[in-house]
Amino acid sequence: MRFKKFLQTVPMKLWIILIVVVLFSFFSNDFGLVDIQKTAIILAAGIDKTENGFSLTAQIAVPKGSDRTTGGTSSVEIGAEGETVSDCVSLIFSETGWVPKLVFCDLIVLGEDAAREVDVISHLNYFLRNDYMPDSCLLAVCEGKAEELISSTSAIDDASSLAIEKLFSEAAVKSGKVLTNTLKDFAIDYYGVSKCSFLPYVRMKEQEGGQNDSQTAAGGGGGTSSGGGEEKQQIYIAEETALFREGKMVGLLPREQTLALSLLEGNVFTGTFNTEGDGSPVTLTVMKNEGGISLDSAHAPKAELSLSVTVRLCCRGVTAPVEDIASDSVSEDILQSAKATLTEYVQKLWDLCKESKCDVFQLKRMLYRSSLKKYAEWKDVLLEAVTPVIHTQVISMK
Amino acid sequence: MKKISTRQLLFFLACIMPVGKLVLLPARLADTSKNDLLFPLLVSYLVQAAAIFCALLVAKKGMTFYELLANTFGKIVAKILITLFAVFLLFAAFLPILEQKLFVQSVFYDTLPSFVAFAPFFLFAAYLLSKPLTSHGRVWDILAPLSVVGILGILILSLSSADFSALAPVGAAGWKGFFRGTMSATAWFFDAALLLPLLGTFRYEKGLAWKGTVCYLAGGAVVALFVAMFYGIFQEISPNQLFAFTATSKYFSGISMLGRIDYIFIFALGLVMSFYVTLPLKESIECVLEAYGRPRYLPTLLALAVTALFLALVVIFDYRFTEVLGFFTETVFWIIPIFSVAIPPLLLLLRRKRHAV
Repeated sequence: MRFKKFLQTVPMKLWIILIVVVLFSFFSNDFGLVDIQKTAIILAAGIDKTENGFSLTAQIAVPKGSDRTTGGTSSVEIGAEGETVSDCVSLIFSETGWVPKLVFCDLIVLGEDAAREVDVISHLNYFLRNDYMPDSCLLAVCEGKAEELISSTSAIDDASSLAIEKLFSEAAVKSGKVLTNTLKDFAIDYYGVSKCSFLPYVRMKEQEGGQNDSQTAAGGGGGTSSGGGEEKQQIYIAEETALFREGKMVGLLPREQTLALSLLEGNVFTGTFNTEGDGSPVTLTVMKNEGGISLDSAHAPKAELSLSVTVRLCCRGVTAPVEDIASDSVSEDILQSAKATLTEYVQKLWDLCKESKCDVFQLKRMLYRSSLKKYAEWKDVLLEAVTPVIHTQVISMK
Repeated sequence: MKKISTRQLLFFLACIMPVGKLVLLPARLADTSKNDLLFPLLVSYLVQAAAIFCALLVAKKGMTFYELLANTFGKIVAKILITLFAVFLLFAAFLPILEQKLFVQSVFYDTLPSFVAFAPFFLFAAYLLSKPLTSHGRVWDILAPLSVVGILGILILSLSSADFSALAPVGAAGWKGFFRGTMSATAWFFDAALLLPLLGTFRYEKGLAWKGTVCYLAGGAVVALFVAMFYGIFQEISPNQLFAFTATSKYFSGISMLGRIDYIFIFALGLVMSFYVTLPLKESIECVLEAYGRPRYLPTLLALAVTALFLALVVIFDYRFTEVLGFFTETVFWIIPIFSVAIPPLLLLLRRKRHAV
């Protein structure tokens, strides 16, 4: 009765007008108007270390066709050098007249020198401070110079950044072949008590037989060189993972340990890994994955790394009878072998992290959150002192 | 004169008041109190709830704020006190308006963040300020469901991204963090003071004091959940996330496929905020009119004058927000509790003079 009375007192016309105004404002997208002729929409940024500071290579989407356009996204790469990243961005503006716009920047690539020799937050802080930069932007480290990676010609996409982003898709992450990280999560790890994190490590590989006579536009600040004539097409690989401690790259995880870390995080679905069965190589598909890392700090700290996978037989390296092909189930022999393989991957992962003193498992954070007293006692020697206990479970699909 | 109904008042306490605390307050608390940010928030809410309980009990007397003062202290002193209170309301309104300006500029006009984008707000404010105070009751009827939908939408989209274990360990920020947080939060907690100019515009019904307090605390619980979730999402970088309620929902997995659907909820809350931030200005004008009378053109003139004053202040402090925030939360943080915490219980103690007006 009261509710009815309330409804009678509310003017319905006003309600409708309000809803229409809100929806119209949202769907009109007038708030997102951009003068594309004056704006440099940065798709990706590459950062390298130079003698005097940094160089920034920005891949910019252009509104007109270019030699590289094949009906998709056309882009140019503009480079600039400066003492800070902000300097570089200002140079791009002053030398091209384009207002650099970071709202659509989804990828920042760090050159290996910039990642190993300086604390990366010294250049990433520009993006963290920038209100118009999405903090869900992906971060990566690359072999050699980021400028070369960003300016390279992709064999699979019009813009190198878009090709690299494909490597970081949700499907790729679920395959366990790549570990991605965003600006936000990297910054949380960096400013957290562990001060350790990871980024995917990208390598370039020349595509055999692939050739493109595109031309890379060059601009400002003595950055990108103009590449006339023929240019080799590249493909990109990001199966390795760079380890970071206090903002500097301190180690590299091979593809097997990248998979191990993904499995420990419980991320993998339909990813594959190889093991042995009856003396021949066998590939198993992970259909279900549960993982976890916990720290028992009751006495001397003990880290428990546990992973459980449900697998099915994907492929044998030898000829198999048709009955075997028709069956998904995995023999006990292969399951034991898979268990040993995964345990070895995790053990190696632990050793690599310990060697590089990188607490990629965030054990310090766990200890800090569970007990301030224990944290004060163990914080400086935790990774060296802790004993890892690895639990691996491999189950066959029935 | 048409009165504000009990329902409208309860809507205001439960649904409109929390909105003002969802923009800058969470980041400010994270900056001062780190992972212990809920404690200063809870203390601020409890103190305000007690003050609101007192303010609502004062309504039993059936008099306006000015009449209460005049009955005890006489007309001249009452005029001085009410003028001081009106100035306080203008003072308290400044930070939320500046907050609203930054929010609108940075979130809705990210491609063109200029002052011009926010300027039309003052036309809207001038119109609202020229309307009678009781018309806000109808506004709250309309805004309350919008506010509920907006907050619920943002909470639902954001909850899955939050890691609540980030709030541990309790006490990591220490007493210093707690006191700094409580001190900073005062700039957003003048809720009880907002009720005083409303005295006389609503009838006290049985149980209104506790009903109002419960509604206010229910709104506070939602704010506390939001703040916990905000810290769970941004953890150590929370102090950097200025516009809290616009930032938490963008990590929802469906956003990548559907686009920023959360903007529907952000727009809804933005709309509620626009009305909320003008209320202290309207109440300030109402205090002056109550004390000095209502000649024909004075309400309109005051509405225009207050709008012009705030337009000028916003222009002057356009690039000095950090300074303003520091001034409110560190230098003059004690002013707001004097008016919003101390006055409501003192009003309960006021006794009518024998030969009063």
